[in-house]
Amino acid sequence: MTEVNLFIFNFDYSQSIEMGFKKLSAVNGYQHLLIKTGAFIILAFIADFFVGGIFHYFYFKQSSGWEYRTKYSIEDTRADVLIFGASRAQQQYNPDYIEKKTGLTCYNTGRDGEPVFYYYGVLQGVLKRYTPKIIILDVENNVFRESQDSYDRLSILLPYYTTHPEMRPVIELRSPFEKLKLQSRVYPFNSMLFKIAIGNTDFNKKRFEDIKGYVPLTGALDEPIRTVDLSKNKYAVDTNKINCYKSFINDCLKANIKLYLVCSPYFFRAVGEDTSMQIAKEIAKERKVDFIDFSKDKLFLSNSKFFDDTIHVNVSGSEIFSNKVADTLLSKINSNAR
Amino acid sequence: MLFNSFHFLFFFLLVTTFYFILPHNKRWLLLLLSSCYFYMAFVPIYICILGFTIVVDYFAGILIENSNGKRRKLFLVCSLVANIGILCVFKYYNFINENLSYLLHGFGRSNPIPYLSILLPIGLSFHTFQAMSYTIEVYRGNQKTERHFGIYALYVMFYPQLVAGPIERPQNLLHQFREHHHFDSDRVFEGLKIMIWGLFKKLVIADRLGVYVNNAYNYVPEQDGMTLLLATVFFSFQVYCDFSGYSDIAIGAAKVMGFDLMANFRRPVLAKSTGEFWKRWHISLSTWFKDYLYFPMGGNRVSIPRWYINLMVVFLISGLWHGANWTYVIWGGINGFYLVFAIMTQKTRDRFNNFVGISKHPKLFLFSQILITFCLITFSRIFFRSRTIGDAFLIIKKILSFNGSPFNGGTSILIYCFFAVFFLLAVELKKEFYRGSFTLSHHPNFWIRNSYYSLLIILIMLLGVFDGGQFIYFQF
Repeated sequence: MTEVNLFIFNFDYSQSIEMGFKKLSAVNGYQHLLIKTGAFIILAFIADFFVGGIFHYFYFKQSSGWEYRTKYSIEDTRADVLIFGASRAQQQYNPDYIEKKTGLTCYNTGRDGEPVFYYYGVLQGVLKRYTPKIIILDVENNVFRESQDSYDRLSILLPYYTTHPEMRPVIELRSPFEKLKLQSRVYPFNSMLFKIAIGNTDFNKKRFEDIKGYVPLTGALDEPIRTVDLSKNKYAVDTNKINCYKSFINDCLKANIKLYLVCSPYFFRAVGEDTSMQIAKEIAKERKVDFIDFSKDKLFLSNSKFFDDTIHVNVSGSEIFSNKVADTLLSKINSNAR
Repeated sequence: MLFNSFHFLFFFLLVTTFYFILPHNKRWLLLLLSSCYFYMAFVPIYICILGFTIVVDYFAGILIENSNGKRRKLFLVCSLVANIGILCVFKYYNFINENLSYLLHGFGRSNPIPYLSILLPIGLSFHTFQAMSYTIEVYRGNQKTERHFGIYALYVMFYPQLVAGPIERPQNLLHQFREHHHFDSDRVFEGLKIMIWGLFKKLVIADRLGVYVNNAYNYVPEQDGMTLLLATVFFSFQVYCDFSGYSDIAIGAAKVMGFDLMANFRRPVLAKSTGEFWKRWHISLSTWFKDYLYFPMGGNRVSIPRWYINLMVVFLISGLWHGANWTYVIWGGINGFYLVFAIMTQKTRDRFNNFVGISKHPKLFLFSQILITFCLITFSRIFFRSRTIGDAFLIIKKILSFNGSPFNGGTSILIYCFFAVFFLLAVELKKEFYRGSFTLSHHPNFWIRNSYYSLLIILIMLLGVFDGGQFIYFQF
């Protein structure tokens, strides 16, 4: 009896009750957290769904601006000839002249500052819908240069992640967590609020001329020609970019598209060759793709008035250059027909 | 590992989960190991420097407590020399050497001392100051020595505040590592909300403003006066949101686990004087300098000229603490001068205000005080942000010309920046002047309160700069 009493009195009831409450409150705390977290996630999910839905609607409803041009290239154009590239494509190839000479419809999908990832993504979207007859890919110096900015710029293609599964592998190159971030419906429209708002008005149409994707430059360069030793321009190349370039060529060849790789004019006398250009030429040679080089064209090298700056021709230069490209295409088409 | 990265998100979730799963007596080990991992995610080898500081200060603390008189002081001095020595080697060696080279060049001689090719360990100034506060407090008898080496190491390395503060005091933090933190869902939610607001300030406000500011400040000669003026104003908001955003994430992350870190900011953009500004800005550093430098020099209980000297010394050292560059020293000097000038002219300014009659209009008076303080602080930050003194003077010259257009980098960047600033000001004004009135962030209704935080998350996803990179104060 004494032993039992001792046992009872030695046991600290207050501590036991306190521990019990703590355990209970901890369990309740976890349940509380789970319920609250669940409710919060539902709220955030609903907000994300609706706000993302609104942005999605207005993004694809745009009628002008850079985003509209990207959307038109991926989802609407059915042109026979498509031009791909960055600013040197967008601002130098006038589809009107190419259409007049070749009798084929043409659209310029080029976009200022965009790397090879972008062209490849757009090509995937195009090939899903139809097969163009001819593709011109503008190749420039430094095209394979390693740069984080090139990956950041893939944000332009984020709105297509859900609607265009064929573009996902290239979009996912952006970062290891891109797939996770893209679970949000709002995230693809990050930093696009004003672009989308303006794209739904006619404001952009007044801001710049857009001739089937071609955006003319009106300045005139007034400086003597320089000599640039391109072989001295050493940099690390990005294998992802080279792989994208290779895939671009392979996909075109697989779809029986006549592909022309074009290096458009520069206003400097080049000594040696740029690393990226060397690689691009070697790949073209391996795959037996025509590489047309206008970078040493005497007409352009002797006339600064055809340039807006040393790497972009202006509206007058573009007229001459586009006609030259059209003539080349025509002769290639005719020789193939024979 | 940046607070604004997915790497940190996974790290935080994992550490917090294990923290509550583990028994209380094992939690310090988890926190210590995870803090080591957190620090080593930047430059692994620099953990050795941190380790050295920890070992020195741990034993210094014990030796100080166990000794008396001069020996006590000697051990404190040894500890301070070791800490400041590390700061000097890693942060100021090349700066001192460069200045020596200039000096010797003036006498037509070359400097034989070689430069060191070293990278500044991340957050060195922060954890060194935190470590120093421990030995000083032990010396002063305000803090008992921490005999548990692991817990002392954790005091220096606690990951939420390891690389950019708040610079904690042992009296506030050390005992918390021994306390049993029960799981409390309200506290967890409160901590997460502070983190979301911090993330919003960093990604939506600071990094968004950073796009404009970096465009302007990285290419000063090409910029117009108006662009630089606006960039300077934006930088004031950028640096505040960047740093206070970091502090909020740190405070929130610690709160989730049950730790209370000291507040580091109290709406400094609404300070009514430069003196008040320093009571609201980087509070943990300001109070550190006050407690360990300003008061030991005599504070304001000395002759008036000596008082002014004390203020100037504190601010010049504070400038140097921020970076090994004369631009920071000048920035500190300007802010010290503001305080001295404010004290010197107090009576004259009062008389002027009475004469003009502005003090009869309290709201207008308050507005003018806030505006003038903001302008003064913003002006000093030209030196804080500029890479060289030459750049800073060029910026001031260009700003004073008031020419050109502020549309640097396109209209949309500017619109985003203004949105960011107005959003911040709206929240800060509400908190400062209408504290008890309608609130969304602490609304009693669960759904309204959480809709507000959902909106913040949506705005982060929509307007946040996800490629913005690291926090400005990491470099210090």
